[in-house]
Amino acid sequence: MRNFMALVHNEWLKMSKKRSFFIPYAIIAVVAVGLAWALKHWGGEMLGTASDYTIMMAGTTGFGQFTAMLAVIFTAGLVASEHGMGTIKFLLIRGQSRAKILASKYVAALLFALSLIVWLNVVCFAAGAVWFSTDLPSGALRDILITAGSSLVFSIVYMTLGFMMGVLTRSTGAAMGIGMAAIVLSGITIPKNFYKFILFPNANLSVYNHGGQPPLPGMTLPFSIAVLAVYIVLFLGASFVTFKRRDIA
Amino acid sequence: MNHPNDILGDDAVLSLRGVSKKIGGKKIVDQLSFDVHEGEVVGLLGPNGAGKTTTIRMIAGLIQMSEGDVFVRGSSIRHEWKKAIRHIGAIIENPEFYPYMTGYDNLKQYQRMNEWISNDRIDEVVRLVGLEQAMKKKVKAYSLGMRQRLGIAQALLHQPSVLILDEPTNGLDPAGIREMRDYLKTIAREEGISILVSSHLLLEMEQLCSRVVVIQDGKLVTVRSIGENHAPSNEEKNFVRVMFRVGRLEEAKNVLDSQERAEIVQVAEEQSELLVALRYKDIPDIVAALGAARIPIYQVTEIKQSLEDEFLKWTGGNRIA
Repeated sequence: MRNFMALVHNEWLKMSKKRSFFIPYAIIAVVAVGLAWALKHWGGEMLGTASDYTIMMAGTTGFGQFTAMLAVIFTAGLVASEHGMGTIKFLLIRGQSRAKILASKYVAALLFALSLIVWLNVVCFAAGAVWFSTDLPSGALRDILITAGSSLVFSIVYMTLGFMMGVLTRSTGAAMGIGMAAIVLSGITIPKNFYKFILFPNANLSVYNHGGQPPLPGMTLPFSIAVLAVYIVLFLGASFVTFKRRDIA
Repeated sequence: MNHPNDILGDDAVLSLRGVSKKIGGKKIVDQLSFDVHEGEVVGLLGPNGAGKTTTIRMIAGLIQMSEGDVFVRGSSIRHEWKKAIRHIGAIIENPEFYPYMTGYDNLKQYQRMNEWISNDRIDEVVRLVGLEQAMKKKVKAYSLGMRQRLGIAQALLHQPSVLILDEPTNGLDPAGIREMRDYLKTIAREEGISILVSSHLLLEMEQLCSRVVVIQDGKLVTVRSIGENHAPSNEEKNFVRVMFRVGRLEEAKNVLDSQERAEIVQVAEEQSELLVALRYKDIPDIVAALGAARIPIYQVTEIKQSLEDEFLKWTGGNRIA
């Protein structure tokens, strides 16, 4: 286990030592602060509290979707760039199994997505606290956690898709493009029964909060969670099988 | 050689047994078997496309074998990969590092993957390859030669028994090639490591290796000790090839033709040279015969068959691979 954490540490360093690492955090901070300021000055009495602002911003319909894109962009290269740079050759001859190496990359990607969502919520709440009331209405904390949680699930689903594409195509560009395209497509709903088994309408779990309407009739929270779990298992299964069997030529 | 279950040679650090790689019905590597012994520097030699890189990658477990197995200190790469790979250090093609990290950070990456590597060991290998001054620099600022040295450091970090190098001098300038060779010799001596190095550069192999394994079209052609090529040729009964540079070429040819003990192998009209095959002990007589005919002799040189000539002979000459 200590050994596995060392591998995750390695992967985290590979991401964080890049000069571009701070960019997603900076974008989130600038937008969160800027929008809070703009809403205060031009939005009238639209928002009352910092928690309202946080829930609005961090949800999957708000900036949470953009955060998912950032997560896809910055994790798409985790596997593909090792192939691209040729560093994969040194990585795979160190006596650590391929499955373990790929798992450490995925865990690092999860940590990155988690850090983005946490950062998004913290910055939003802080910016909201500056210009709006810091009162916490009852249930607000629960709502914040639910929106943050569904944004995290949303990010993880598409990040896993991008991760798989990175393994399958060995191309950072393809992984990024397909991950982003999927996020954009997730907004479209085809009103047919089969579509509820597709990934897209299920990815946003926040629709079920406060007894909201699902995108298609017959969908429930457990149903969506099950569908997402099946897709994630499929994506990861394809990734691990491919990565383990691949000849590094 | 083709019995995969052969009992392993007792001092073989690395053994290939009937290793094959099939891709789409085509055999890239075909039933390859050879050993690398303790402290030995072995060259894997072959023209482009002979299967050298595929072989090296199969030894490191980067490519799966279709048949056969590789044993490293008795552990099978196929079945006990973790145990086997522990003894292997490798540089496959150009050494590639994370360019945005420093040399030290790159080595730290590999240290974290094998917990027995101490910080002192990092310092030790860095000193061995002479990169102390460059450890804090980012790898993207390294020259190819420096990256090669960092590659060696990386390969030695976990104290392997055998070093596997794929075309280590590719892209290096003559000074870099020489430096690389010196490092490898130092390592073989100081760390007591066996080295398997692939190349198509014959001269390199001749200067570095004690033995060469020649492959072509994925098949083993021959295994030669380099020493054999430099066997003393001054034994009286040995045939040698001697080049005579003379004046009056036609007359010289007539004189040599009349000598039973010498045979003209080749005539180079433009350089006025004759390549003659004869016994070593007959050289003075032939020179005397030419002298008696008052033919001017400018040069008499023994032409040794180089590894290159032999290599071309083994691999079918000027066939472009």
